[in-house]
Amino acid sequence: MSARSRSLAVAMAAASALALSACGGGGGGGGADSDEAIPIGIIADLTGATGDVGKPYNEGMLAYVDWRNGEDGIEGRQIDAMSNDYAYEVPQAEQLYKQYVNDGVVAIQGWGTGDTEALSGSVARDELPFISGSFAEPLTDPEEAPYNFIIAPTYSDQMRIALDWISEDSGGKSEVAVFHNDSPFGEAPVADGQKWIDEESLDLGYEAYPMPSGSQNFVGLLSQAKKQGAKYVVIQNVASPAALVAKDIAAQNLDMKIVCLNWCANELFIDSAGAKAAEGHLLVQPFAPMAADKEGHQDLKEYAEANDLDPATLGTSWVQGWYAMHVMAEGIEAALKNGDDLTGPAIREALETMGPIETGGVVGNGTVEFSGDSHRGSTATGIYRAEDGKMVEIEAGASL
Amino acid sequence: MAATATGIHHRSYTSELRLRATRAEYLRLGLMTVLLLVLPFVLDNFWLSQANLILIAVIGAVGLNILVGYTGQISLGQGGFLAVGAYSSAILSDRIGLPTPLAIIAAVLLTAAVGTFFGLPGLRLKGLYLAIATLASQMIIEFVIRRWDWLTLDQGYLNVERLNLFGFQIGGRQVFEQQWYWVLLLLAGLTVLTARNLFRTGLGRSFMAVRDQDIAAEAIGVNIPRAKLTAFAVSSGFVGLAGALTAHYSEVVSWEKFTLDVSILYLAMIIVGGLGSIAGAVYGAIFMTLLPELIRQLSLGLGDTLPFLADQLPAVRNAVFGLVIILFLILEPRGLDRIWQRIKDYFRFWPFRY
Repeated sequence: MSARSRSLAVAMAAASALALSACGGGGGGGGADSDEAIPIGIIADLTGATGDVGKPYNEGMLAYVDWRNGEDGIEGRQIDAMSNDYAYEVPQAEQLYKQYVNDGVVAIQGWGTGDTEALSGSVARDELPFISGSFAEPLTDPEEAPYNFIIAPTYSDQMRIALDWISEDSGGKSEVAVFHNDSPFGEAPVADGQKWIDEESLDLGYEAYPMPSGSQNFVGLLSQAKKQGAKYVVIQNVASPAALVAKDIAAQNLDMKIVCLNWCANELFIDSAGAKAAEGHLLVQPFAPMAADKEGHQDLKEYAEANDLDPATLGTSWVQGWYAMHVMAEGIEAALKNGDDLTGPAIREALETMGPIETGGVVGNGTVEFSGDSHRGSTATGIYRAEDGKMVEIEAGASL
Repeated sequence: MAATATGIHHRSYTSELRLRATRAEYLRLGLMTVLLLVLPFVLDNFWLSQANLILIAVIGAVGLNILVGYTGQISLGQGGFLAVGAYSSAILSDRIGLPTPLAIIAAVLLTAAVGTFFGLPGLRLKGLYLAIATLASQMIIEFVIRRWDWLTLDQGYLNVERLNLFGFQIGGRQVFEQQWYWVLLLLAGLTVLTARNLFRTGLGRSFMAVRDQDIAAEAIGVNIPRAKLTAFAVSSGFVGLAGALTAHYSEVVSWEKFTLDVSILYLAMIIVGGLGSIAGAVYGAIFMTLLPELIRQLSLGLGDTLPFLADQLPAVRNAVFGLVIILFLILEPRGLDRIWQRIKDYFRFWPFRY
């Protein structure tokens, strides 16, 4: 290169540097000053592998925000909830997370176990309280995940309660097959279930079977469970695949009882399987469905009626979304009442020290409570049975 | 790839060996350097995070292009090799306590070794057969990272400490992306420069000879098995670096980030960018990383007029992804790099057509 062209290059470089710098720009943000809306980011699964329950959960959260804003918001401030679909893909969740951090949100509502775990380190470093649809046990430990909060009993707690119930129902001895989603969500309670059987010396056989995603039937898996001699099939998956298992059990005329945990323990499971195939199966569900008619359902009913929704059609996942947002909003309210600036650490502190959050009998045994040592909001769950196409409560607030 | 561009006459060997020959090339280099240096001061943190993802993708795509574009060995194992880099660097630095730079270097070497091992079928297989063999490597590595619980100490995922380079610790939310940008820019720059120069050496030219006609290459003295295995090693080494950087940048490692989808995404990058071109790998990495985000921004913008776009965003994104690849295969199989070449040629030869 000649000296002339070299100096030309340098000159061009300098000129464009000036031009680009002039464009300005810079970090997002959006503070949390007194009258501003409170920004909350939602990472939702509307169209992904768990979209069947993810969509109503998201609708429940947005409905709560709408209702609360109508009730003059939190301490007079409106909630600005941003909801985006991540289709149950971890990289998309990370992308959305970065977007929300840049937008200056004060807290985040997440969804899946894989992405909640993947983001737990980042939310801790960025000091953003994070409530999610995942109830995986490691997320309850403030040492491991200081900014994650779980508002219901963990999947592992639900599994323990289910195993205790099975042990009692079977007269003390039986074989249990665990059908689980082949992902961190599905695997979350599997090892803890085995540990519980060993610790409590339960006389239960225990085998875990990953459910291949996209399967059109589970006859093969059921025949393995049959070979094991399983009388109970605990399912840790969402409603649609669990309903397929129920249909296959009915079609094969197998003597097996399904015990659904959390995300398949809902009306969608019964509707998809059909009342006949679902009949008699058990549902471990920490959030009381609308059919259970608890005091805490009143606001939901009023909101639904005011918005041309039939309260009877609001599924349990919708109720779960409503109360996930309720717990977060209560934490934010407590932080504001403490006179703190609305920051992540202030909300975390408020959630840890505010005492029990009342849910009118909907979550666990009625209240959700965190402490500095534990972010496990509840250890109790309702147990329901599918009868005539309905969820019928057989035990409220069951705990270990 | 032509060794020299048409219409340029060299009067000395030194001149012919230059990476850049014309004034316009120096000018563009200057502009690009300025753009890259100014970027962190004009972008907000979110777009800077996109730039960081692009820089990591550049390293991975250049690595894959060495194998697929330059040596003609098809590979569907990119996701697996990224995982080897990510897991080994995370474990070596956080659990075994190796200083992070050393852990990253070790991860690069380990991934190169694993890549060489899985490249062995390449000595006997070609084309589709080799593609399926490398697909097996993806499956095996995915199985290992999902089922070998000791890798993550039964946790299912690995938390990675914030990057510490020779005593310098990456900072918090406000400066995190900026500081990472400089680290990644340096490494991506070195990667591009290394790869660019690799194909000016005898080794690099032996890779291309294997791709173009392996029997003829053997006849002129190229050791085919050695060339193929070295290509796998070099390529996997780069990919291992991208994997290690993914781990330290995102600060968490879980198997869900290294699935077959990732392998396909990287293949798409080098197809769309241009097979057998380092610049193409860079263009492809930029294009394919930005595409989903641009579609998202577009659907948000058009949300009111075309609500379908916003409602079905992930499906739309996948459809556009597929459509882009098909359109490139039909309209310009040599990718963005060739389109750019044609634009440059048009201006260089104007008013003549050639």
